[in-house]
Amino acid sequence: MRIDLVNLSFAYGHRIVIRNMSFSLNNGDFLVIQGKNGSGKSTLIKCLLGMNPVKSGMIFYNHEDIVGFKKWPTIGYVAQRFEDFNYEFPITVNEILSVSQVKRKDSSEKLKLLDRMGILPLLNENINNLSGGQLQRVFIVRAMLNNPELLILDEPTASIDQENVTYFYKAVNELHAAGVNIILISHDDVVETLDFTHILTVDSESDYSFQTKTEYFPHKEGEAK
Amino acid sequence: MMLSFFTDLFTQDFMQRALLAGLLLGVLAPLMGSIVVIRRLSFIADTLGHFSLVGVSVSLFLASIGWSAFFDKPLYLGIVFSVIGGLLIELFRRYYKNYKEISMPIVMSLGAALSAIFFSLSKRTGSLYNYIFGSILTITNYYIVLIGITLFMVLLLFLLFGKQVISVSFDESSAKFQGINLSLFQISFIVVLSIAVSVLLEAAGVLLVSSMMIIPVAAAMKVGWSYRSTLVISILFSELSVFLGLWGAYSLRIPSGASIVAINIIVLVIVAFIKRIVTRKRVKIVNPTLE
Repeated sequence: MRIDLVNLSFAYGHRIVIRNMSFSLNNGDFLVIQGKNGSGKSTLIKCLLGMNPVKSGMIFYNHEDIVGFKKWPTIGYVAQRFEDFNYEFPITVNEILSVSQVKRKDSSEKLKLLDRMGILPLLNENINNLSGGQLQRVFIVRAMLNNPELLILDEPTASIDQENVTYFYKAVNELHAAGVNIILISHDDVVETLDFTHILTVDSESDYSFQTKTEYFPHKEGEAK
Repeated sequence: MMLSFFTDLFTQDFMQRALLAGLLLGVLAPLMGSIVVIRRLSFIADTLGHFSLVGVSVSLFLASIGWSAFFDKPLYLGIVFSVIGGLLIELFRRYYKNYKEISMPIVMSLGAALSAIFFSLSKRTGSLYNYIFGSILTITNYYIVLIGITLFMVLLLFLLFGKQVISVSFDESSAKFQGINLSLFQISFIVVLSIAVSVLLEAAGVLLVSSMMIIPVAAAMKVGWSYRSTLVISILFSELSVFLGLWGAYSLRIPSGASIVAINIIVLVIVAFIKRIVTRKRVKIVNPTLE
């Protein structure tokens, strides 16, 4: 998958949140988007997901304009909070996963992913009994079941306890190693243990910098050598 | 009285028709109701019911001015108007993006107002009572066939599009990433729901349509452990209420819709009560181990 942002700008009324942003991602890339609350991370993601209409500038997926883009199942998206998810009505993890396009015979794929995410024993559990972090991983598995070329994770560690974050990052690294392109949004300081290739830092002045991992961690990278 | 209900059930045609219609509706109502409840649209059935009533009243009005050849079956215009009501709701939901629920009372009052106007113009206000409270005991074979067709259609849709139903109901915003065309789903949902509401109107009446759809589901979701089990339990609750409700309606000579809904509420209260006791016991057992 190739992604191109060309001079993207976005404003809410007169308040400009994204100004002339351009970058490209290629197959095998893993982008971390980092910035404080209110720096426009979510706005950018909504643009990438086609939820914010792109009025100024352009976004391309595999050279295809996002305006009129139809192949959304090639993108897996896991939201930061699931405000839109309707809780309380009983539904099991397995039933939630049944919505994906994966065929019934490929259920070994599903079990493998659940195992990798550490939630295999929860397969027949009612989701209302799950913790936020467990639910997040269920949604990651759901997104992964369509074999997406790109996985977008919006602050995935927000609802995971500190001791599980390392474990979770390891799982994300594994997905990346397996050939999935990843965009991960984070408002924490990003850690080196994450195998990202590029980092986009945004701030509230609608400035941004797009760097590779070596540009971002030059000093530590040097030490390692 | 209890005996006469059962003897009449076996000897009287109208009782058999009422029971059959009731049992079919007892499956249809909670099936549609489950989607409505999950999507937090509980008021939509009421609103569509009021708009369906506009269709009924317009039919009666047109029949009264001599167009009876086309409008002797008020159900059809009921469906048409119910769909119009659904589209109006969608329109207002988009207009008041952050206050989507405003759409319901606006469309519902418009429906109530138009119904009152056309019922009065048709000079058939006498039949209004049946449409408000329902009259399953006077149901005709013709309606039973219609209910059967509607139920068959809904079951087929659940079988064919179960994935889409789950995906959109629980998580509308991510439906796109499952390759679902949300607008197409919305329109189809409104059309099918409108048909179901219009068909239910005859038996349950406009005031009780949504109760038959929602209360069994509300009770079942407190005891179900999965989506599928909750659907099955809601249908069981619904059938129980239809059966006991018909018995009550027949024995006490009260409107059938009212009696069915009253039993529905009793089931809900009993379920909530038992659930509370069971949960308390569990807490007591769990707590000592925690300490």
